[in-house]
Amino acid sequence: MALSLRSWVANEGSKNILLVVWLTVNAVVFWRTFALYSYGPQYHYLHQILGMGLCVSRASASLLNLNCCLVLLPMCRSLLTHLRGTHKVWARSGRRLLDQSRSFHSACGTAICVFSVIHVSAHLVNAISFSVKFSDEFPSLNMAQYRGQDPRIIILTTVPGVTGVLMVVILFLMFTASTHCIRMSSYEVFWYTHNLFILFYVILMVHAVGGALKYQTNLDTHTPGCMPTNHSSAEDTSTNQERELEDWQQREPICREEAQFQSHFPETWLWVLVPLCVYCTERVCRYIRSRTPVTIVTVLSHPCDVIEVRMLKDGFKAKPGQYVLLNCPSVSSFENHPFTLTMCPTEKKRTFGIHLRVVGDWTERFSQLLFPEVSSGDHILPMMQQRNFPKVCVDGPFGSPSEEVFGYEQSVLIWEG
Amino acid sequence: MGKIEWAMWANEQALAAGLIYLTGGIVGVAGQFRGWEFAAFGIAAGAFVCLLEYPRSKRNKGTSMARTGQYCFTVCVKAFGPLTRNYYVRAFVHAALCVPGGFMLATVLGCVCLGIASLIYLSAAIHGEHWEPILPRTESRAPVAESVKKPPQNPPPRPPMELRRKRMDDLEGAAYINPIAVTANEF
Repeated sequence: MALSLRSWVANEGSKNILLVVWLTVNAVVFWRTFALYSYGPQYHYLHQILGMGLCVSRASASLLNLNCCLVLLPMCRSLLTHLRGTHKVWARSGRRLLDQSRSFHSACGTAICVFSVIHVSAHLVNAISFSVKFSDEFPSLNMAQYRGQDPRIIILTTVPGVTGVLMVVILFLMFTASTHCIRMSSYEVFWYTHNLFILFYVILMVHAVGGALKYQTNLDTHTPGCMPTNHSSAEDTSTNQERELEDWQQREPICREEAQFQSHFPETWLWVLVPLCVYCTERVCRYIRSRTPVTIVTVLSHPCDVIEVRMLKDGFKAKPGQYVLLNCPSVSSFENHPFTLTMCPTEKKRTFGIHLRVVGDWTERFSQLLFPEVSSGDHILPMMQQRNFPKVCVDGPFGSPSEEVFGYEQSVLIWEG
Repeated sequence: MGKIEWAMWANEQALAAGLIYLTGGIVGVAGQFRGWEFAAFGIAAGAFVCLLEYPRSKRNKGTSMARTGQYCFTVCVKAFGPLTRNYYVRAFVHAALCVPGGFMLATVLGCVCLGIASLIYLSAAIHGEHWEPILPRTESRAPVAESVKKPPQNPPPRPPMELRRKRMDDLEGAAYINPIAVTANEF
């Protein structure tokens, strides 16, 4: 019992601690924003119009900001590979957390979907509230143009509304294409729809620009809930102040001036800009790095449809257990397929190799380009003839859990597919 | 590159859209908002779409992953024959069902999502796909071949144990020449 608990803690402990920390951060951010909009005096009048819908929509919006910021970071593969390689900084349990990067990305993505549903529902209720509870007292707070305006018109004629609808459509496409079933059967559908994320982020940064929700700026001169004064301003100041003091003591201060409102500064870009820049920079660097020419040196045919490809690339350094992404423009311009390195470059010998099994359409077409004529493939022979190998681009190497193989007393390696 | 199975993606979208439509309908009826009759229709349409889309179709190539407990739904959907088999019919039905959702605020999202699913189904139909039920295969044992009934009586010819044992005392004599040359540098 103690052994199984110890081994559970060693294997799953850090992952579950991170999950709890992430959930706690989400809960704290939600609660703080909810409380701000519920009790903050600058939102008093807006809260009177919108009610709970205001608090729920803004709290879920702040969670969406947080998760849209976090969701990109686990996908910065080169950065994670670099972190994995720095053994002095990270303990082994820390490096094992990096193995869970894709699960963390899915968790943040699911959170984005869930909170988008909550955010959209709350804003639909807000649209109805704006329409029904049109404020004649504070006309600048209104989003509707007149009382009883169709909420659908309110949504479709404002920048936040239109951008919101577009983002929901993109999120719907991305979410439905990233289920396990679709990823296993048609990976291209998943890949191309997931690359709509850049459009999603651009629209997200424009989304808050409309400034639908406003806060009160002059709290010191106009306490929320104060009595509107009908007196002219020609009165004696001292008696006015005395009266104000009396009224303050009677809990109903007189407003010294009209409430003034201002739209929020859109803070989404503060959350999202840094991870987006990091991710985009990494994609650009990976693209440039993968354009370095790669020479195919040897192609070997092994039994059971396995092909070994040995290549040379300038400045390529890799450690055992890492994998590369192979792209062959003659087969498909946009597809990148991962293969674990079966031979790493050393100081004396700079070739690196992969083994690939011909199973799907990409590998079938690739093998046809490597072996133009039909080969029996049942004996190992190096191909000595001069042949025109197709051009390949190699992106990587990227770290994987297999890098830790030499750090344990006993390792069991199972190679599949 | 490669044939994308549009119907698989359309199926996921339609199921999600059906759930969104259903939820929006429930909210609309519960809140008794203006136009709640459309929300009531949304509940019925959302439930119908979920039931229709729950059983996954069989893939042309590769393993089909059935959803949990989809067998009874498969039987029901299969009973309608060409109506459910053809994706043009499905695309039209989804398009028709989504239109009333656009008239009420709570069901607008369900309408948009179901409309997109309908378009993807149309694409699947144009590519010639159709719905195939995933049914459990009845394993029929192939008749046993003649040669299996008569296994060999004697073991294969091998040299006796003394010769097969590894000769630790005479390593030089035990070595053999590799038929294929093994070289370190191959380029």
